[in-house]
Parts: sequence; structure tokens; C-alpha cells
Amino acid sequence: MSFFKTAMGRGLIYQVIGHIAGMAFIFGVRFGLGLPVFERGGLVTPAAEASWVFGGVVGTLAFLKGTGVLDDWLKWWRGLSTPDHHEDKPGWQKYFNVSMDHKIIGIQYGYTSILVFILAGIFALTFRTELLTPAADILKVTGNTPSDILDFFNTMISLHGMLMIAAILLGVGAMINYLVPLLIGAQDMAFPRLNAFAYWINVPGAVLVVTALFLGGVDAGWTGYPPLSSNLAKLGFQTFFLGVYMIGFSSITGGINVIVTILRMRAKGMSLFKMPIFVWAALATAIIQFTATQLIGLSFQLVMFQRLFGMNFFNAAQGGNPVLFQHLFWFYSHPAVYVFILPGLGVIGELLPVFSRKPLFGYKFVALSSIGIALIGFFVWAHHMFTSGMASYLRVPFMYSTLLVAVPTGVKFFSWVATLWRGRISFQTPMLFVIGAITIFLLGGITGPPNGTVSTDLYLHDTYWVVGHFHATMFGGFVFPLFAAIYYWWPKMTGRQYNETLGKIHFWIMFPAFYLQSVSQMLTGLYGMRRRIGEYEVALDIQDLHILITVAGFAIALSVVIFIYNAVISLRRGEKAADNPWHSRSPEFQVASPMPVHNYDVPFEVVGEPYDYGLAGSSYIKFASTTAPAAD
Amino acid sequence: MKQIRHFLFTAIIVAVLTAGIGYWLQQVIARMPISAEASRQAVYIKSLLGQHFWAIAFLFALIVGVMVYSFIAFRQKKGELLDGDYIEGNTGLEILWTIVPLGVVIWFAFLGGQSLTFMEIQNDNPLRVNVTGRQWSWSFEYPEYGIITEELVLPEDSQTLLRLRSTDVIHSFWVPEFGPKQDLLPGGEVRELRVNPSESGEYTLACAELCGKQHALMLADVIVMPRGEFDAWVRAKIAENPCLDGDQVGCGEKLARDNGCLACHSVDGSQNVGPTWLGLFGREEALDDGTVVIADVEYIINSIREPAAQIVSGFQNVMPAAIGESLTDEDIEAIISYIETLQ
Amino acid sequence: MAEHADAVHQVSLAEYRVKSANNRLGLWLFIFSDAFVFLGLLVTRFNLMPDARPELDQTLGLIVTSVLLASSFFMNRAEIAAGVGDIKNFLRNTLVTMILGIGFLVGVVAVEWPAAAEHISVSEGVAGSVFFTMTGFHAFHVLTGVIFLFIVWNNGRKGLYTAERHFAVEACAIYWHFIDVVWVFFYPALYLMGSAVIGG
Ligand code: HEA
Ligand code: HEA
Ligand code: HEC
Ligand code: CUA
Ligand SMILES: [Cu+2]
Repeated sequence: MSFFKTAMGRGLIYQVIGHIAGMAFIFGVRFGLGLPVFERGGLVTPAAEASWVFGGVVGTLAFLKGTGVLDDWLKWWRGLSTPDHHEDKPGWQKYFNVSMDHKIIGIQYGYTSILVFILAGIFALTFRTELLTPAADILKVTGNTPSDILDFFNTMISLHGMLMIAAILLGVGAMINYLVPLLIGAQDMAFPRLNAFAYWINVPGAVLVVTALFLGGVDAGWTGYPPLSSNLAKLGFQTFFLGVYMIGFSSITGGINVIVTILRMRAKGMSLFKMPIFVWAALATAIIQFTATQLIGLSFQLVMFQRLFGMNFFNAAQGGNPVLFQHLFWFYSHPAVYVFILPGLGVIGELLPVFSRKPLFGYKFVALSSIGIALIGFFVWAHHMFTSGMASYLRVPFMYSTLLVAVPTGVKFFSWVATLWRGRISFQTPMLFVIGAITIFLLGGITGPPNGTVSTDLYLHDTYWVVGHFHATMFGGFVFPLFAAIYYWWPKMTGRQYNETLGKIHFWIMFPAFYLQSVSQMLTGLYGMRRRIGEYEVALDIQDLHILITVAGFAIALSVVIFIYNAVISLRRGEKAADNPWHSRSPEFQVASPMPVHNYDVPFEVVGEPYDYGLAGSSYIKFASTTAPAAD
Repeated sequence: MKQIRHFLFTAIIVAVLTAGIGYWLQQVIARMPISAEASRQAVYIKSLLGQHFWAIAFLFALIVGVMVYSFIAFRQKKGELLDGDYIEGNTGLEILWTIVPLGVVIWFAFLGGQSLTFMEIQNDNPLRVNVTGRQWSWSFEYPEYGIITEELVLPEDSQTLLRLRSTDVIHSFWVPEFGPKQDLLPGGEVRELRVNPSESGEYTLACAELCGKQHALMLADVIVMPRGEFDAWVRAKIAENPCLDGDQVGCGEKLARDNGCLACHSVDGSQNVGPTWLGLFGREEALDDGTVVIADVEYIINSIREPAAQIVSGFQNVMPAAIGESLTDEDIEAIISYIETLQ
Repeated sequence: MAEHADAVHQVSLAEYRVKSANNRLGLWLFIFSDAFVFLGLLVTRFNLMPDARPELDQTLGLIVTSVLLASSFFMNRAEIAAGVGDIKNFLRNTLVTMILGIGFLVGVVAVEWPAAAEHISVSEGVAGSVFFTMTGFHAFHVLTGVIFLFIVWNNGRKGLYTAERHFAVEACAIYWHFIDVVWVFFYPALYLMGSAVIGG
């Protein structure tokens, strides 16, 4: 098996070994201290918490060691020097080995994201199947009671939510890593080794999160509120929290890397207001990632300590405050939702001018609106807590700040449609996904303000209305733009074209199915459907809508299968792609497909505006000393 | 001329879409539980939501309308590769679509604050009900009358002040027809919610915050009745308390119900979160540390006072420790007499 | 952690400067980011115990604080020495910083923790949770700082740093001062503000 010779395979083996070693160490310590090694029998009982946590940490370090991402740093610490670039492995193997090339890292993020997305999607389909009927009776296997089904259901929704969010963070990493250096004309990111680290740390993190499934599950939703999550009955919470914590490292280090890259490595002549719009989005994203992420890490860590050492941060009986957790958690998790969408909105801004053959309307406003969304986003977190019992005077100020986010977001929408207006629009697959993204994100966005005004939220909170709201924002702001980006940059990534017909079929299944899913979710919510229940009251009379949601979910899965099929056949025997199939002005389309190994063999200089389609004789960039033709 | 035609057509599309979506959304509202207008609070929520929905209809129609029209009027013809008009922006427009939404959201925030204020208006002498939520049941104490019940009975047309607390994890009080929710916090913290029920009828209280296994089933009946009937109900309830007329077994059953024991323990032998109480007394119980004990009085007292100390094999240690704290020794005695009868 | 460019000796000085400037920016961003954790801890502390503080040994607190503050002074001297290429002085001062850092760690973890455990418990009330977590997080940072110092000291002995090329030393110093500044906030928050509680 050549897979186990790759860094990925080796890392995973090391992780298992490291994990076992870590657990054994704790058992040894317990033994040495004269404590019973297995208290109350077995490895999956609460008494085994410390060993699982320590095992998880050691396993993660072992994974990193096994892959070799740490090697250069370890050498530096000993005063040795290392070459600036390492030779990458040939063929497919380079994607499973440590590479410092941002393009390869971007693709690594990308396929990992899709794998996690599929896993989380399968979890969704599982619990959606249960919701076909009001009673908890479908996921019945011998020996489980309805109450076990409900328990399993809770685990499924929690892992669905958290893994989907992990998939988003990975997908965001994919887009940013692949695109930012290309768009600003850099050879690579500022810190290539840190970049590789930021990718690889995700893998043991995701493994840990999934492990929770086998340790009794997690039943507190992706939000993991204590005291439910600090109840020792479920060991799964420990690996869940630890895994998310590891994934957090990726956001923090990745964010720092992106900011330094953007601020210091732009091509000659590329002033801030001449950057491609995606780069602005990446900058805004990174600002959130490298700061706010610390707080979800802290909040989860405090719950872990509460479980491990019996601390009382969120234990009300001992003077702790469960609401404090919610503040710490949402201080990250609200801004995080803008991490999910800003890169996607950047992709929309990037592609719209290309397919409308017209400049991006109001470039400066669009650019600054990303920063505006990111900054206002830091001050709205408590809108998730209107019913939480926090000090009630906080509710009105948070209502105002929440609604303010609509203003910069609106600027984006108005500028997008103004870009279409009097353009020359064509409808290739990437553009279809952009259009889908805009309308779906619109649906998600405008369902936000009713949550933002306190009195209506008191009704809407924790109903499927909110579920509909956030699926629409995340599909519109992330899933659709990600597919748009994959189709659009596919030639640059692979040197081949995908099949246009299959691409269109993918869109025409996913787009209506998504509307069906999301709107039905909103309706059930308005009619009284609570979140996170595996059994709903017959009296609500919403079974039909639930069936629609489930069917739509399966249709979305089908469309994803078509996408994967398309990708595979394109890689196998796709037509060779032209250098600039979309007639784009963007720098990466002025060089060969697939992208050359070191990006731009000849550096370029910015000589015009990025989106001046329709301005005869203008071009965005000029290559330094050669006569390479710039954009048309 | 052409320009004006473009705008005219777009305006028509937007207007038609707005009307269509807006009309449909009003139908949706009509099907919502708050449209029963079963409380004063629901009326405020419904009215603000109605305004939100018109804004949603208009904004969706506006953006999608302009897009759809552009797709038709400004599409690239087959085989051509022309550029669009060279328009980089328009500062006036950009300022306009920053300022106008700003005004709109501030207006909505104002409306939101106003309706919140109306919802929370305090009447004199509301009926107080202490609501306790626990995994996974509710109980309601009427301190003025000294009664505890499993269903929430409220008089019509007067304010009820619900004083909410939880004994274990966070729960949330929600009667959809009444409108608002409020979370219940553990650790002796009390949170308040005021509702003014205005329609007699039967409703369902549902827990709206994930609280573990049976969160979905954490329901209770809510009955709103005219004042006179309510008073009669109160008198009947006071009269029928078995703990006052020395009925040990009946009192034990009532205590088991009021304290939520029966949410986890069945009395008919069926599987549940905790071991069934049917046949419990005197049974040999295998514990998960491998020992076997006889369920006698002492063991049962222990199981209630310190649930984590002895865990029955095959069950998780989820029985809340706080649950026994509110029970006196006499209460537990009564519960045991009740368990004894379940053979 | 910022990329460490000193080891790559073959690059030209101009390139080294560009890289160091990148690293410097990265380092400051990292510190800004890390500050959020400590901010979160302070918020937690004041939320849970608005007008109380853990019952602690004031003398010990004063001692460890002075030790850490003193270490920052030697760190500064080490950096200045490295800046003028005075490697001997650099090594000596780094060593002192390291020893003071270890002294602080021992003072907090080996002396102060057991002493504090007599008054406040981890599992009763929140004072113990707050105290042990805050000092624990900080001590972990001091520990990484000491390791960083050791690496810099060790590489200094090998003659890796010159007046022009010693970004690692600068990074180590910035990090060390940061840890020190955090303590400047933690010390009053834990030892001085509010009235002492015993138990919880
Ligand atoms: C990608 C993710 C994403 C995005 C972008 C958003 C965007 C917004 N969200 Fe959403 N939200 C989530 C993901 C997201 N949300 C998730 C995951 C949850 C649930 C978490 C959980 O509990 O599990 C949630 C929950 C949530 C709540 C809590 C609900 C509850 O549980 O009670 C609230 C409350 O205010 C809210 C509000 C908003 C608002 C106001 C916006 C705004 O940013 C929207 C702004 C956009 C527009 C308004 C549309 C375009 C604007 C115009 C066309 C201009 C004109 C507009 C006006 C004048 C109004 N969201
Ligand atoms: C990106 C984010 C994202 C995405 C894409 C989705 C996708 C879907 N979500 Fe999810 N959802 C969340 C994020 C997301 N969700 C979050 C954060 C929560 C909150 C959790 C919580 O409350 O804690 C949530 C909660 C949530 C709920 C509420 C649960 C509850 O409260 O009880 C529901 C219910 O309908 C739901 C349904 C679905 C469905 C049907 C899909 C479908 O679109 C899924 C479609 C299926 C796939 C994507 C699978 C793809 C492919 C295959 C199956 C092919 C198989 C194989 C090979 C080719 C090898 N989701
Ligand atoms: C959240 C669920 C839950 C609630 C509420 C609950 N219990 Fe339990 N109970 C359990 C579980 C689970 C067990 C088995 C594990 C154990 O022994 O702790 C148990 C065990 C017991 C036992 C020992 C039974 C045996 O078979 O040995 C007794 C007695 C008992 N509970 C009494 C009560 C009383 C009295 C109340 C109410 C005041 C109550 N329980 C409320 C979950 C619950
Ligand atoms: Cu109680 Cu959900
Ligand atoms: Cu939010």
C-alpha cells in the first residue's frame, strides 16, 4: 500500500500509536499512584477521560512528527539550516505528502474539505431519515429503545454541525491558500512551513472529532453548551472539544500567514485598492480568524478542565456561570460565520465581472464592505443569547449592532446587481453557481434581521427557522461559491477542462433542491418545529414539509456525486484546458494551464485596474521584461 | 429611451414579485401558532414579524428581479464575445444604498425595542407560578395556593409571572402560541417571563433548548381557562392533596410525579433512561462495579441522596444529584412506600 | 510561531532583512492573537468573582513578580548585546533570564500552588478554578519562553548570531516581554483586586 508510505498514511499510523502510548502513560501513572487503573471498568467510561485527552494530545503531536511538517523547525532549533524549498513528490503522491507549495496545500485543504463535507452530509442524511416520521422509530436496530434513538439522533446533529463547520474552514483555507499568492503575484505564502503546519494539524483534529462518535457520542449540538457538555456521562465531549481545538490552530496560524502575505508580498504597483477583490475578502477573513478563534479555544478548554479537574467555571451549583460560556463561545462563533462567507463573497466579486464583461461596480465600496462586515461582526455575538437569561439590558444594544451588519452586506448585493446591469452576461457553470450563490445568500441574509430584533427572536430562536436561515447563508456564502471557484479555477489547478454539461446538471439539481430544503426548514420552524429533536409533535402537522426536506437533502447528495464523477473523468481524460478559457484579466490566467510550479516565472507589474472589462486597450498587469501578452 | 424601458420592466417585475411573495408570506403567518393570538405577547411578535416579512418580500424581489431582468435583457448572444458597458461605479448611488438601508435597519431596531417593551409591560398582582424544568419533565408550583402540578393551568386575561429555574442543565420554556421563550438556568438562578394568556384552550409547553436524550419529549400540557373555572380548579387541587390526608402511597406517587422521577423511571416495566420501578423493591440489582445489592430501604434512600455512588449496571450516571436535595426524609419515605406497591 | 530565518545563512543580507521584516510582523500578529486568550481569562475571572479574589500568600506573589520583572531587564540587555555583536554578554544575560524564568516557574508551580491549595480548592467554588487556570496558562507560556531562551542561547553558543543577523534573539525578547506584560495584568487581578475569599 503506497498510501502508508505517504506522509498522510504515516501520520495516521503515528497518531494511533501516539494515542495509545499517551493513554498507556496515564494508566501507568494511575497504577504508580496506586489508583485503580480502570475505574468502573473499561476504556469508554468517564474515569478514562484523562487518558483519552492525554492520548489525544500525544497522538496529535505524533501525527505531526510522522508527517514531517515539524522537521525543518526542529532542525532550526538545533541551529541547522534547511533549503528554502523542498522537492515535491511526483504525481498524486505530492498531495499526500508535506509540501510547502501553496498551490498543493490549497488542493490538500480542498480534498480534505470535500471528504469531511461528505461525511457530515451522510450524518445529515441519517438523521433526516429519522425525521421522515414524527416518532423516533426509523433508525431502529435490535435492542435499542426510542430513547437510544433520540440519543443517537443528538449525536448525529452535533457531529453534522461541527464537521460541516470544519469542512467550511478547510474549504476557506483551500480557496485562500490557492488563490491569494496567485492573485497578488507572489511566489508563495510568507511562511510556507507554517502554511503546511496549518493544513496538517486539521487532520488529527478531524480524526479526534469523529472519534467522539465511538465514545458515547456528543449530545449538546455543535455549540456544546455546558452544563450538558460537562456532564461526565458522555466521554465523547473530550475528543470533540480537543479536536476542534486543534482545528482552531489552523485558523490562527493560517490567518497570520495570510495577513503577512497580503501586506508584504504584493506585486509591484499593486496598491491596496488595486488588489483583486478576493484578496480583500481574504484579508477580512484573516482578521477574524487570528483573533476570535482564541476564544472558542479557551471556552472549550475551560469545559475540558471542568471535566478533567472538577473545576467550576460553568457549574452553577459552585458559583460558576453557564451563560459565561455562551459569551466566550459566541464571541468567536458569530464572527466565524463571516469567516465562512467572506471568501465566498470574494469569489462572487471576482467572477461576476468576468462573466458580465463589465467592471465590478463600486470596487472600493465592495472592498471596504468586507472589512466593515468583519469589524461589525465582532460586536453582535449576544444576538444568539436573547433568550439565554443574560443581563436583559444587553439585548437592545446587541439588536442595534446586529442589524447594522445588513448595511455593508447590502452594499455588496447592490453592487453585484449593478455589475450585471448592462453587462454581457454568459452562463457557463461557474457563473451559474455565482448566480445561485447570490440568490441563496440573499435568502439567508434577509432572514437574519427577524432574528436580530429581540421580540421576534424570542419566538424564532431554536426553531427550524434559524436552521433554514443558516443553511441558506452557508450554502449561499460558502457551498455555491466554492463550487463556482472549483469550476472556474479547475483549468489552472489541473490543466484540464471539466465537462460543461455535467457541471450544469450539478447546478440544476443542487439549486432547486437547496431552495426546497431551506424554505421548508424555515416553514416548519415558523409552524413550531424546534431544533434538535428526533421526534416532533404530530399536532404540528408538518410531516409533509419534513419529507420534502429529506428528499431535497438526498437530491443535494446526488448532485455532489455528479460533481465528483465529473471531477474524476476530467482528471482521467478531460480535454486539455486553454490558458485563459474565460478571457479573464486576472494574472493567473495570463500564464500557462496548469499553473507553473513557481507561479510566475517572470514577475509582473500592475499597470491598470483589475476589472476594466470594456475599456479598450487596458490591461491589469504587465510582465516585467518579456513581451508576454497581457489581458485583452 | 431604451434606458427607461429597462427600468420600467424591472420595476414591474419587482412589484409583481413583491406582491406575490408578500401575499404568500402573509398566508404563512396565518398558519403560525402565534396567529391564534393566545397571548398579548404573541400579538406583538406577529405584528413585527409581519413587517419583517414585507421587507423580506421586497428585498428578495428587488435583487432577484433586477438579476432576472438582466439575464434576459443583457445576455451574451450565442457565439458572441462582447464587452458590456464600461461603468465603474456611481458614488451617488453607492452612498444612497448605504444610507437608505441604514435608515431602514435603525427603524426596525426601533420597532424591535418598542415591541419588546410592550411585551414586557408589568401588570399589578400577576399570578406567580414557579416553573421547574429538569431532565426531562416540568413541574409548576403555585406558591400562593401551595399546590404543585404537572400541567400548567392559567387564568385567561390576566398576567402570569413565570419564575423559571432548572435543577440540572439549561432548558427553555416555550409555548408557541404564547410567543416568547426563556431559558431556565441551573444553580438556583431564577429567570422571569411574563405572559398574558388571552384565549382559553389547550396548548403544549415544549423545551426549546437541547438538554440531552429526551429533550424532544420534554413537553407539558398548558390549559388556559376563564377566571372562574381557574378558581374552581385551584380549590379542587388544594383539596385533593394526598400528602395532607395521610395517604402515604398516594403522596409518594404525587411526589414522584411532581419531582420528575417518572420522566426517567417507568412504573410498568418498560425501558427508559433509568431502571424501572416495577418490582424494584427487594430486587437484586447488579451494579456496574460488579457487585450485587438488594434494593432495600437503605439502598433506595442512598440511590436518591447520592445517585452517583452506586450505578446500576447498564445505565449511565445521569440521575441528577440535585434532585434529592429538595426532598425531606418523610418525602423519601412516602416515595418508597409507593415503590413498594409496584410489584 | 514566526518562521525563524537565522539558520538560513546563505541568503543575502538584503533578503535576510526582508524575511525578518515578515517574521517581525508575523510575530506581532501572533502576540496580538495570543493576547485574546489572556483577555478571555481576565473576563472569566471578573465575571465569576466580580469583587472577590482568591486567598493567596502576598509575600510569595510579590517575590515571583519581582523575579519575572527582573528577568525582563536581563532579556533586554541580552538583546542589546546581540544587537552590537557582543555574543559573550548576550549569552551571559540570556542565561540569567532563563534562570530567573525557571525561578518564576518553580515559585509559582512548586511553591505557590501547594500553598494556595491550602486555602482554595480546584473543585470547590470558583476561586480555585480561576487561580489555577490563569496561573497555569501563564506558566505554560513561561515554560515555552524558557525553551525558546534555551534554543537561542544554545544557537548563540554555536556562533549563529551576528550584529546583522539575530532575528531569533529579537523574537525571543519580544515574546518574553509579552509574557511579562501579561503577568503585569494577572498579578493585580489575582492578588490585589477584590476581597480575599477562602474556599469559594
Ligand atoms: C454563514 C453564516 C451566516 C451569516 C452570513 C449570517 C448572517 C446573519 N445572521 Fe445568522 N446565523 C448563522 C450563520 C450566519 N448568519 C448560524 C450558523 C446561526 C445559528 C447558530 C446556532 O445556534 O447553531 C445563526 C443564527 C443567527 C441568529 C440567532 C438566532 C437564534 O438562534 O435565535 C441571529 C440573530 O440575530 C442571526 C442574525 C444574522 C444577521 C442579522 C445576519 C446578517 O449578516 C445578514 C445580513 C444580510 C442581509 C440583511 C441581506 C442583504 C442586505 C440587503 C439586501 C440590504 C438591505 C437590507 C435591509 C435594510 C434589512 N443569525
Ligand atoms: C456547511 C454547512 C452545512 C451544510 C452543507 C449542511 C447540509 C445539510 N444539512 Fe445541516 N447543519 C449545519 C451545517 C450544514 N448543514 C449546522 C452547523 C447545523 C447545526 C447543528 C446543531 O444544531 O448543533 C445543521 C443542522 C441541520 C439540521 C437541524 C438539525 C436539528 O436541529 O435537529 C438539519 C435538519 O434538517 C440539517 C439538514 C441538512 C441537510 C439535509 C443537508 C444536506 O444539504 C446535506 C447533503 C448531503 C451531502 C452533502 C452529502 C454528499 C454526498 C454523498 C452522500 C455521496 C456519498 C459518497 C461518495 C461520493 C463517496 N442540518
Ligand atoms: C434524568 C433521569 C432521572 C431522574 C429525573 C431520576 N432518576 Fe433515578 N435513576 C436514573 C438512572 C439513569 C438510574 C440508574 C443509574 C444509577 O443508579 O444512578 C437511576 C436510579 C435510581 C434508583 C435506583 C434504582 C435501581 O434499580 O437500583 C432509585 C431508587 C431512583 N433512581 C430514584 C429516583 C427518584 C426518587 C427520583 C426523583 C426524585 C429519580 N430517581 C429521578 C435516572 C433518573
Ligand atoms: Cu429540556 Cu430540552
Ligand atoms: Cu450570529
